[in-house]
Amino acid sequence: MAPKLEIEPGSSNAYYTGDWRTQEPVYLNKWPPCSQTCPASEDIQGWLALASEQQWQAAWRKLTQHNPFPAVMGRICYHPCESACNRKHLDSAVNIHAMERYLGDLAIAQGWSHKPLNDHRQAQRIAVVGAGPAGLSCAFQLARHGYPVTIVDAQAVPGGTLRSGIPDYRLPKAVLAKEIDAILALGIELRLNSRVGMEISESDLQNEFNAVFLAIGTQRPRLYSDNHTSNHSVMSGIDFLHRLNGGERITLPRQVAVVGGGNTAIDVARCARRLGAEVTVVCSQDPHGSHHRQQGTEMPASLREVVEAEAEGVSFLYRTGVRRLVRSGEHLSGVEIARVDQVHDRHGHFNPLLFEGTEEFVPAGLAIFAIGQEAEWQGLERLSQATETDGVWIGGDAAGKPRLAASAVGSGYQAAMSIIASLKDESFVSDAHKKAQITFKQMQLHYYPKEPRREGAVNQQRLAGFDEVNKGLVDGDAEHEAGRCLSCGVCFECDNCWHFCPDAAVIKKEGGYEIDYDYCKGCGICAQECPCGHIDMKSMAE
Amino acid sequence: MDKRDPFRHNVLTSGHRACSGCGEAMAARMVTDLIGPDAIYVNATGCLQVFTTHNQQSAWQAPWIHSVFANAAAVASGVEAALRARGKETPVVVQAGDGGTFDIGLQCLSGMIERGHDVLFVCYDNEAYMNTGVQRSSSTPHAVRTTTSPPGRLSQGKHQLKKDVISIIAAHHLPYAATATVAYFPDLKAKVEKAMAIKGPRFLHILSPCPLGWEHDSALSVTVSRLAVETGLFPLVELEHGELTGVMRLAEPRPVEEYLRPQGRFKHLFAGKEGAVELRHLQALADARIRRYNLLETDTQWDTARAMQSKRHGCGDYASASVSNSPTSEAVKHGA
Repeated sequence: MAPKLEIEPGSSNAYYTGDWRTQEPVYLNKWPPCSQTCPASEDIQGWLALASEQQWQAAWRKLTQHNPFPAVMGRICYHPCESACNRKHLDSAVNIHAMERYLGDLAIAQGWSHKPLNDHRQAQRIAVVGAGPAGLSCAFQLARHGYPVTIVDAQAVPGGTLRSGIPDYRLPKAVLAKEIDAILALGIELRLNSRVGMEISESDLQNEFNAVFLAIGTQRPRLYSDNHTSNHSVMSGIDFLHRLNGGERITLPRQVAVVGGGNTAIDVARCARRLGAEVTVVCSQDPHGSHHRQQGTEMPASLREVVEAEAEGVSFLYRTGVRRLVRSGEHLSGVEIARVDQVHDRHGHFNPLLFEGTEEFVPAGLAIFAIGQEAEWQGLERLSQATETDGVWIGGDAAGKPRLAASAVGSGYQAAMSIIASLKDESFVSDAHKKAQITFKQMQLHYYPKEPRREGAVNQQRLAGFDEVNKGLVDGDAEHEAGRCLSCGVCFECDNCWHFCPDAAVIKKEGGYEIDYDYCKGCGICAQECPCGHIDMKSMAE
Repeated sequence: MDKRDPFRHNVLTSGHRACSGCGEAMAARMVTDLIGPDAIYVNATGCLQVFTTHNQQSAWQAPWIHSVFANAAAVASGVEAALRARGKETPVVVQAGDGGTFDIGLQCLSGMIERGHDVLFVCYDNEAYMNTGVQRSSSTPHAVRTTTSPPGRLSQGKHQLKKDVISIIAAHHLPYAATATVAYFPDLKAKVEKAMAIKGPRFLHILSPCPLGWEHDSALSVTVSRLAVETGLFPLVELEHGELTGVMRLAEPRPVEEYLRPQGRFKHLFAGKEGAVELRHLQALADARIRRYNLLETDTQWDTARAMQSKRHGCGDYASASVSNSPTSEAVKHGA
C-alpha cells in the first residue's frame, strides 16, 4: 500500500520553549516605602487602592487593622510616609495624611463600628495601664482577637497625651472621643481615676490578670533649674498644655518665651499665640533645610508645624540657648540667651555649649520649657523592672524616648501581638518591615501620568481661637489622591506584562497574572516594563 | 486549540521559535489578537513565517497561508477576490517583514493598493534581514552595522538612508496608512481597530525591535522602541488618502543618543571622530522628522506621555477574547 502523503500540522504548543530560559520572572509583592516608614506599620498602599475604587468602608477596615485612630492620626501625625513616598520623584507625594483623616472622618460620620476578628472568646484577662494611644491600640487589638481587656488610667477621661497634650486647633476633642468610643465599643472595660500604687496595687494587677501592658507615657517634664527658690513665671510645656486642654483659661503676660525645638514647643507657642501673647521660640538647633551643617542638628519639630507657626506670627531664634532667667524680684523680666555651638556632647547627650560674649536679652513675662519629658514610674517600681516572662510588657513613649503618636499606636499593636503569642505559647515574629523594599529606581515612573497633589482648605481666621486650622479633603479630591498612589511593588493589574510578553507566556486571570513557565523564554521584558516593580528576574544559574 | 488565557484568543500562541525578547513576535501577537481568529492571514517569507511554523508545528490559531517572499500582497489580492466572488466578508491580512515590504514585496504591494483590494497589509519592520543573519535592507537606518554594511576604516555602517516607505505608500492615496510600535499598546490598538473599520487597502508600519540584530538586551525591546519614537527617529503618524491626519506629539523629546546607546548595531558611532559625525547626522535626521511632522507642536491631546499611562485593572482589551474583559480603554482621539 502506498504511504499516505498527507501532513497534519501540529501546534507549536507541543514545543516547550521554557527550557531556553536562563533567568525567570517572579511576581513578588514588595513593601512600599510609605508602609516601611509608617510608625504604625499601616498597609497604606492597600487601603489607598481600596479608596481609589471608592470602597471606602473596606479601605477604613484595612487601615484600622493596624491603627484604630485614622481621624486622629490623619490630623496630628507628622506623616513620615509622605517624606518617603516614591511619587515625589514624579511630581509630589500622595497626600496620605489627608486621606487617612478622610477615611477616619467618614467612619465617624457613617457610624461604622469595629468588628471582632472571630466569635471565639478567650478566657485569659489582660490589663492595660494607660489609656493613651499605645494602651488603646493594644487593647483594641486584644479585644479584636477576643481577649477580655481592662484599661486602668489615672485620669478622669481616656486619651492620655492625645487628650492632654494636643491642642484643639490640631485635634478637636470630639473627634478623639468618637474614635475612643469606637474602640471601647469592642467590649473593653475602662477603670478611670485609678492610679497604680494608689487606687489599685501592683500585685492586684499581676494577680488579677494574665498579662499586663504598661503604656504610661511620659508625664514628667524635664525641668530647667536655675537654683532659684521660686518657680514663679516658669512653666513646663506639658503642664501648660495639660491645663489648657483641661479647660483652664490661662492668662498670659504680653510676652512669652518658649524654650525647645520639638513639636511640643511648637504646640505651646501656637497655643500662646492664640491666647494673645507675643511668642519667641528659643531653639538650640538649626532651622529646617540646613543639612549642610552637622548631621542631627536640625530642629526635631515637623517642618509643616514650624511653617504654620511662623504664619501665625511666632518668631524663632535658632541655634540659641538659655543662659539664665532674668528676674526682677519674683517676676520674670526675660531670658538671657546665647549662641549655641554643639547641641549634643561626645556621648550623644543633649548638652548645648553656649558661647560667651554672644548674650542677648529676650523680654518675657513667662518662660515655658518644652525640653523633654520622661516616664513617671512612681507606684510602678516593681512592675517597671519586670519582663515579658513575668507577663509584663512595656510600650509607647514609656518604653523609650518620646516619639510620634503613631509610634505609640504601632508599639501597642506589636505588644498585643506579642502578648497573644505568649498566651498561646507561640513564638512572636514581628510582621513589620519583613517584606522586600522597593525604591523608585526599580520602577518605571514614565508609565504614570503627572497629577498635581490636592490639599484640604486652611482656616483663615485661625488666630481668633482654637478652631481647627486644617480642613479635610473634599469628596472628589479624596478619590483623586487615592488614585495618585503608585502602588509601589504591588501589582495593580495594568496588563503591561500580559501585553508585552512576546511568547504569550503571561496568562491573565481574574485578579492577577500567572507565568506559564513551559513557554517563558526569560527575556525580562515583563520585569523591565512593570511600572511598579512587582516583577523580579531570578537567575537560574544555581 | 490553546485556550489557556480566558482574556485573549492567542491567535499567535506559545511555543514559537522567536528569539527571547522578539519585538516582531510581540507586535504580531498584539495585532493578530486585536483582529481575532476570524480572518485569513497571508504571511510573506521572513522571520515571522520561519519562527511560527517550524517543524510542522504551527503557532497560528487562525487560517494562515505562507506565500513566497515577493508576492504576499498578490496572494492576499487573490484570496480577497475569491472571498468577494463567494460573497464573503472575511477580513484578509498580510503580514510581512521589512524585506517583504520595502524591498522584495514592494511591487506586489503597490499593485494591491492600486487595484483597491480590501486588505490590511501589516509590515513588522525590524530594519534588516534578520533570520538569514542580519543583512542590510532598504529599511536599515543610516550608519547601522549589519553583516553586509560593516563599519571599519572606510565606513561607518550603512551609507544610505532608511527608505521612507510610509510616504511611498501614502502616495497611492489609499484610505489609511499609519505607523505604530509595540511600546504604545493603546495607540497600536486604536490604529488596528481603525484600520479594520475601513474598507479598501490599508497599511500599518510597525517598528519591531530585534534583540539579535539590534544587539540590545532582550529585556529592552519595548524600551528601545519607545525611545525610537521619543527621539523623533520613528514618528507615529496616520495618513488618510495621502493626507497627514494624525500625529503622536512628543511630550518630552529625547536626544538620539539615548536610543542608540543600548544598541550594539550603533556601537561604532561611539568609538571615534567619524562616528561622532554620524551621531550628529542621526540627530539631524531626527530633528528633521520632528520638524516635518510637527511632532512638538501639533495640537493634540495624544502625546507620548498620555499614550503610555498605565491604568488600574487593565489598559486595553482584545475583541477576540472568549471572555470579554470590561472595556476600560477610552476612545482615543487622534487629530492633527
